Amino acid sequence: MIEQYTITTTPKYNFPQPTTDTPLPTRFIELSINSLRQAHNTNLQPTPQTLTPELHQECPTQLQLKRTPLPRPPSHQPTPSAAVDTSTIKIGETKTGIIIAIRGATVQQKNRRYHYTRLGPFIFHITEENKNAVYSNLERDCFHTPYTGSRQATPPLMQMPTRLASILERWMQNRLARTTNNAVLLFDGSLISGTMDTPVHRMREILTLARRNNNTVLAFSKATSLRANGYLITDLLPSGEAPYLLETTGLRFKAPMVPLGDVYVARLHKANMAFRLDIDCEVPLQSRFEAVEKLLGNDVLQNSYPETLRLAHILCTFTANEVLAMQHFITRRHGIQIVNRPDMHRLLFGPFGREGFA
Amino acid sequence: MKLYRKEGNIIQILSFPNECAEKGDYLMVEDTEAAKALIVQVIDVQFAAVPGVLEELLRTLPDGGEPIQGEDIDPLEIAPHITYIQDASLLVCKIRATLENNMLSPSSSWLPSRSQSLIRKLSVPALMKLANVDGKRPIILGGTKDSSLLTIDATALDGTLNIITGKKGCGKSHLSKLLMASLVGYKATVVVFDLNGEYGSIGMTNDGKRNIYYDRIYALTPSQNFKVAINQLHLNVVLGILVNALHLPGTSAREFKRIWKQLKDQSKLTLAELHEAIRNCNCNQHVRDALASRYFSLVNSGFFTDNLTEAALLDDSLLKAKDSGGAIIINLKNTGNIDRQIVVEYVLGKLVDSLQNWKLKAVFLFAEEAHLYLRETYWDDIVTRMRHFGIFTTFITNQPDTVQETIYRQADNIFLFNFTNEHDLDVVSRAARVDAETVRSIARDLPPHNCLTLGRVVRDFPMVTRVRSLDLKTMGETRLFFAS
Repeated sequence: MIEQYTITTTPKYNFPQPTTDTPLPTRFIELSINSLRQAHNTNLQPTPQTLTPELHQECPTQLQLKRTPLPRPPSHQPTPSAAVDTSTIKIGETKTGIIIAIRGATVQQKNRRYHYTRLGPFIFHITEENKNAVYSNLERDCFHTPYTGSRQATPPLMQMPTRLASILERWMQNRLARTTNNAVLLFDGSLISGTMDTPVHRMREILTLARRNNNTVLAFSKATSLRANGYLITDLLPSGEAPYLLETTGLRFKAPMVPLGDVYVARLHKANMAFRLDIDCEVPLQSRFEAVEKLLGNDVLQNSYPETLRLAHILCTFTANEVLAMQHFITRRHGIQIVNRPDMHRLLFGPFGREGFA
Repeated sequence: MKLYRKEGNIIQILSFPNECAEKGDYLMVEDTEAAKALIVQVIDVQFAAVPGVLEELLRTLPDGGEPIQGEDIDPLEIAPHITYIQDASLLVCKIRATLENNMLSPSSSWLPSRSQSLIRKLSVPALMKLANVDGKRPIILGGTKDSSLLTIDATALDGTLNIITGKKGCGKSHLSKLLMASLVGYKATVVVFDLNGEYGSIGMTNDGKRNIYYDRIYALTPSQNFKVAINQLHLNVVLGILVNALHLPGTSAREFKRIWKQLKDQSKLTLAELHEAIRNCNCNQHVRDALASRYFSLVNSGFFTDNLTEAALLDDSLLKAKDSGGAIIINLKNTGNIDRQIVVEYVLGKLVDSLQNWKLKAVFLFAEEAHLYLRETYWDDIVTRMRHFGIFTTFITNQPDTVQETIYRQADNIFLFNFTNEHDLDVVSRAARVDAETVRSIARDLPPHNCLTLGRVVRDFPMVTRVRSLDLKTMGETRLFFAS
């Protein structure tokens, strides 16, 4: 091997740490470092793979989509907006588990100027042995839930990346709801709770905090499985002049899922695109519409999607460059060697094998 | 550094930000298993095609506006690793040689191990030692980037054809003076066609004192201290002047030859007698007129005389230079175009004559902007005939396209200064001793006073040097109107 210099010798490549005092759970950092220490001097098979939370199998009954558009004229009353998003990626596999990274981003818009805060990346080595401790400790430190220690409470190994990202996302949403006033808060996904990664009390707490600070939560789903008369609700767009909302009725979910928002179809731009929009159902109807109008008047909505939320998503997404950097980091700091094992599919089936990372 | 790719004689090496390698640097790619190493030179530095970099740059620009402001809370300090990888560069290198058993061979037919090869920078002194670029007559050209000296051997200039070229004001004349003075220091005979009168004071230091070359610099100014006695001229020399410089047609040249021989036999070879002979010549009126007009051109140049004492300086200078080395500076600064060609034709004829008769062993000829006074046919002479006589020419020009292509093809050494113009670089890249990519890539980025040396003097290992300063009164600066 050619001698490699340690990067600490070059000041240019040592970024000053932000001076902001962020009350980020130190547990994230501790658990990340501790989990990586357990993988010291092991080999890593790189299998970069961006992970997205699986769509909840939403099975609402008797869902109807009202065909009368509710036009929403933009309101230019200065209103800030803020968005949260997280992403996770599997960096590779070790003999005993997986190495993953998670990162979150908050973007705040005021007078069409954007400011972001990114948390992470946090890198974890998750194994069958430590997944319970990692998950429970994070839950406890982020949300002050009692430590269960039970293996049933923790997700399977392959679901751990999205579940850890979800913990970070809820924590960031909680902080945003707690620290922002008179704003439109934009979440990624729906306001369905009662799932494994979003207990009802946790989402309720976030929405309550938001309302207490005079915020309105709007949750945009990039994809939805909700159908009316067999058609996806985002495909049933009347030919009215955008921006408008379409109301839904008859939304029922099977237990344990609890919808904490009313579902709308939002077409907020003349482009023929619409999204499922969940609005906190505890917010009065007029305030809901005002929130959408303020968003229209204060944010950029290319393709019906708020720029603030788009930026949050873009800023937390991992690029290939960052994956390489994280591999470089775990190799340098934790002695984890990158080993490219042959891709069995390619080995066995040649050109008929699926695309592999090996 | 990591070996990335090899295509033909180009090798690509991945380099990280703290392994600073620049254009012109030499690297050694050592394969310990094969017990061989490749000597490669960096000819270009590019950004490595790191996946995801474009997304990385784009995502900070919402709607193509100004970069989004924000902060990164990065407790694990991954950011330095990101920038470290982002700033990785790709070194495009030319294979110069293979090192095996401490012997260099110009081979690139083998492939070093990509995973096991050790890559390290090779200092200029180490490379020069490997290439045996040393000798008993060192000439220090200047400093290299790694703070070492580039020393060439004067014998590598012996018997060679050299070109010094580059943009105006980048130090060509300075280098030619350095080479000239060094050759004189080794007792060589040097003749300089000094177009701008800037070599005459080489015997003086910057502060006006005499230096070690003072007694060996012979500045000759045509029609002042440099004249030619008409009866000492050889017929072939004077015919060369008439035909090549004054374009005398063949028929008239034959008539002149007859007149000349007649006067020579009668020992009446003077300017007055020559005029009289032409006037009374029994030949066609046109021929007589042609001869008369050429005669007056010779007389009006003031370069020819009947006085033998006035015309002894060139012979004396050559004689002194032969014994203890010296530079004969032919100052052409205030000489008209036609007269300049007359003088050059005479000097070259005289040199060939002296060399043929072994009055001189060999001569190093330095010609600045030679296209202004050399005849067309002389270029071919340079690469064929002249070197056999012992005239070893160095052309100095800032217009590379004025030097014939055959000269570049045959050039043994090229001292290349900065060029930015593609056309100029194309012309120079026709040189046989170097590849076009090296010339185009390195020469374009050369700072002033830095020179890319190619050819025999550096054993075909192109070297970038900052030409050292000289304590000589160079007088080559551009005269300025707004000088303070």
